[in-house]
This record gives sequence, C-alpha cells and structure tokens, in this order.
Amino acid sequence: MEQIRTLSALLEYAKKIGKEQGPKTVSVAMAEDAGLISALEEARAAGFANSILVGNGAKIKAAAEQAGVDLANYKVIDESNEGQMGMKSVALVSSGEADIYMKGQIHTNNFLRAMLNKEVGLRSGKNTISHCYFHTVEGFDHVFFIADAAFNMYPDLAAKADILQNTVNLARAFGVVEPKVAVLAAVEVVNPDMPCTLDAAALTQMNRRGQIKNCIVDGPFALDNAVSEESAKTKGIVSPVAGHADVMIVPNIDAGNMMVKALVYFSKNETAGLILGATAPVVLTSRADSPRAKLLSVAAAVALSAFQKK
Amino acid sequence: MTIHNLDFLMDLCASGRKMTIAVACPYGDDALAAVCAARDRNLVNSVLVGDAEKIRVLAEKDGLSLDGIEIVDEKTDYLAVEKSVKMVSGGDADLLMKGLVKTATLLKSVLNKEWGLRAGSLLSHLFLQEITVMGGRIFGLTDGGMNMYPDLQTKVGIIENAVECYHKIGVACPMIAALAAVEVVNPDMACTLDAAALAKMSDRGQIKGCVVDGPFALDNAVSEEAAKTKGIRSPVAGNADILLVPNIECGNLVGKVMTYLAKERGAGVVLGARKPIVLTSRFDSMETKLLSIALGAVVAR
Repeated sequence: MEQIRTLSALLEYAKKIGKEQGPKTVSVAMAEDAGLISALEEARAAGFANSILVGNGAKIKAAAEQAGVDLANYKVIDESNEGQMGMKSVALVSSGEADIYMKGQIHTNNFLRAMLNKEVGLRSGKNTISHCYFHTVEGFDHVFFIADAAFNMYPDLAAKADILQNTVNLARAFGVVEPKVAVLAAVEVVNPDMPCTLDAAALTQMNRRGQIKNCIVDGPFALDNAVSEESAKTKGIVSPVAGHADVMIVPNIDAGNMMVKALVYFSKNETAGLILGATAPVVLTSRADSPRAKLLSVAAAVALSAFQKK
Repeated sequence: MTIHNLDFLMDLCASGRKMTIAVACPYGDDALAAVCAARDRNLVNSVLVGDAEKIRVLAEKDGLSLDGIEIVDEKTDYLAVEKSVKMVSGGDADLLMKGLVKTATLLKSVLNKEWGLRAGSLLSHLFLQEITVMGGRIFGLTDGGMNMYPDLQTKVGIIENAVECYHKIGVACPMIAALAAVEVVNPDMACTLDAAALAKMSDRGQIKGCVVDGPFALDNAVSEEAAKTKGIRSPVAGNADILLVPNIECGNLVGKVMTYLAKERGAGVVLGARKPIVLTSRFDSMETKLLSIALGAVVAR
C-alpha cells in the first residue's frame, strides 16, 4: 500500500478496505449523541464501517432523529444501565461479532473498566494499553503519531517500550513501512539529571538489539531536531530519524498533553486519536471532538483492524 | 483583554529612552542582521563585543553596514563575554545579548559574584509568542529552560519575573495559567498540586500584580470554548496571557511546537538578573531576534 500522508487519504484508504474486504463493525457504548451518530452514518455511507449502537433505545432514537439518520441500517441494543452498556459493547468485540470498540456518551471510567475486564474485555497479555494522537500539520508532508499524551501518566522504560511498539504498529497500518521514531526530551544529549534522556538512550539501544522491532528508534531529541533536518544539521546530529520523525514518544502525560494541545490550538492541523495495545482497536473520543475527528478515528481503527488481521 | 501582535514591542521600544545593548560574540545566524535592523528602526544603541575583524568580514559578506554601531575588539569568546557583562554591570550598557557563544559560558559570567549581573533573585526565561491562527494573540511561555524541574517556591519566582516584565510592556494584571495535563487536582500528578498552591497564593495576595489559576490543560487556558465545555469558571480560563509550564520538557515541547510546527515569531528574554538578557537560539528568525531586542530594551528601562 501507499503511505497515508494526509487524513483525507486515510478516509480514502478506509473506503478501499471497505470495498475490498467489506465494512468493519463498530460497537459503540452509549451511542446517544447526534454528532456521534452522524459521524457513524458518514462511515457507513462511505462503506467502511457499520455500527452496533448500545445504549438507552429511546435516547438513541432521539439522537438519530436529531441527526437525520435512519436507524434501519443499524443494530440497536437497548441497555439502560451504564456499566452494562460498556460490558455489552465490549463483549461484542471480544466475541468477534464486532471489530472495533468505541466510546459514546458513556463515562470514560465505565468504558475503560469494560475494556480491561478479564472475561469479556480486550486485554492482550501484559502489554501496556496506550493512546496515540495522529496529526497532519501544514508544511509537513506526512502524518505525525504522538504517544502517549493521554493514557499512561508517567510510564517507566518498559511501559515506554510497549507504547512505542503499539504506536509503530499504527504507523505501519498507515503504510509507513519502517517508521522513524523520535524519543523526545528537552535536549538532544544524554543528561543524567534528566531521566527522560536516559529512557530515550535505552529505547534506542533496545531497538538496535532487536528488542523493539519494525522501526528505527533514536533519541533523545528536542522537538526541533526531530522534525527539522536543518535544525538537526546545525546541531551536528547524524541520525536517520533526525528531521524525519514519523512517531514521537513523549516523556509523560504533562509534556505530551501540552505539546498536543499546543499543536491543536496554535497551528494549522488536523488531529484525531486511537487507543492501542488491546486485542482490537479502541476509539476513545471526547465530547468536544468534532464529528470529523470521530470519523477520522473510526477510519484509523478500520485501517488498524485490517492491518492486525493480515 | 489579551494582547495581540508583537509589533507593539517595537513601537514601545522606539517611543522611550534609548537603551544601549552589549552583544557578546555577534557572529552570524542573523544576530548581526537583527542588530542592524534595530539600529535602522532607532530601537537601541548597539555595542558589538568580539573579534572586530571577524565581525567586519561577516557584515561585509551579508551586505550589512555597521554605521553607528560601536565595536569593542575582544579576540576570544571568553573575554568578549566577560567584557560585555562588565559593560552592563558597570553601567556602560543597559542590557546584554548573546550571540554565537554557548549559553553556559554567558551565564557563568552573568553569575560572577564580583562583576556579574546577579540581583539575588531567580533567573528565568520568558518567551512571548504570537499565534497566527488565534488572530495574532500573544502568549507568554515560562520557564523556557533556565530551571529544569522547579519546585513550588521556584515557580513563584518564575511568575514574579514574568509579571514584572508584563507590567513593563503595559499589561497591568496578566492572567497566568499554571499548566498540567488536566484541569483537576490529582494527587498522583505533582504539577496539579503545585498549580493549586499557586492559585491559592494568588488568592491570598502572596503573589501580586496578576491573577494565577490552575491547574489548566492548555486548551482550557487558551480557549474560552474549551473552558466552557469543561465547565470551568475562572477569569483565567480561556484568557491566559502567560502559560506557566511545570518543567523543562513541557516548556521545550510547547515552545518548539510554536516555533517549528506553527512557525510563529516571538520574543525571548532572560529575567531576574540586574538587567535583562536577550538570549535567542541560533535557529530563531531574524524577526524573532529583533523583537527580542525590543522586548529586552523595554524591560531594561
């Protein structure tokens, strides 16, 4: 496949998967919002995802009416208990009836508790579950994958290695054959007083020794030398990753969250996100996300689902 | 009332008493061009401290005239830095600017006990950044990297420095957002606790001349709509002038998103010494360097 370089290309790719392999099935916990249902309808009309809507039947109906969407094309599972909504939706995925688990209006805690449930959830061994934001930014010709800015607060080295591998898998699902991974810090040198520079050095070495696969890892990098070849050159950094990072691993939730939000609010960009590392793709969007962002997250989940089933 | 468009710094600088800037090692990377542009706009008097021969060759190569700019010949970087710091501490210059010399070398001189620029307060970096997609709105980002992992008391010092600077550029009561990844206090996230303490210190008048609130995630500090969605009620929510970051990784990443991904212009200055220090990076554009000179000169008054 050709590398996906814009989020419009991501939608086209999801459509292609739909056409060739049939649409994926999304199981949505508490699908009681008009904006969400219109995003799901767009995915259905584009032929890449059908949805099962779990939640209060009357509220789902009202939201669909508000969105002008005909529920004849949807399976609706009437469940009014919020805890049960999560369990029922996730069970559809773990049983194989659905391919993607998605959050609707359900509280994040209930949604995640179901995801991590030992019997019906989507745990995959000891692997760390992580979040990834993917962005396009004006002036750059490829997608940036940033992790983990939302799920793991202060990951240790082992967790960072998992986060890195999860994110690399998503980048590969986007057609990036061998993703270049920059482990970010405030500086590009190893500094014993800055723990994230030590983690970065260790992750680089784990990649060289084959402990982290299918990608090229380097770090520490300051953001400028990860994204700008000129800046890397001026600093005298020789690395295949310098200036060309596809994936950026942030040191912790504080730095990652601020970085991503600065991107979203201060640049011309398009952004969506996905939960990785479970046995199936998980879409966790927030109520502030636009229908377009929700649609993009579903498209990414479709691409990842197709990649994982290859 | 948030501030917009950094050009006001040049007007503010040109309209007051003219300051003298000592530039240590002004070799290339637009530093010389910025000094010449500052002269052309009548912003400051400049003294270039460094290898005179080298400076003249560079100016000629870039087609820059050095008319009206004083040169003090010091062959080595070390002596050039020492001389420029002494000029500022001795009163021959009003502010200091770093050219192509290591920040550590410059700071060592600045902190010299006999002839340096120590004022007994904390040194911190403030960067003003103009954001095009928000109509040119200006955000101050601090600390940009002088303090790696500041504790609560250090954060108070960082805020005080930034507030003094904002007063000088005409913002009487800046709104300061103490940033974290979330807008709620979480015992497992240390920076949210510091943010809560800073907000309370602001309430009790322990931090003056501004309003501090936090914790905020960046979105609800800069966007009223995002703050509304989260139901946050605070004069700072959506209206932040200054973004206080918890540590060097956060400051560096946010600052570099602004500079490298959003490609914005800004103005940076080190505060807390007896006189301001214009400390730009070699990657900063000529315009950012010029705006930084203007900011430094206004703060020096």
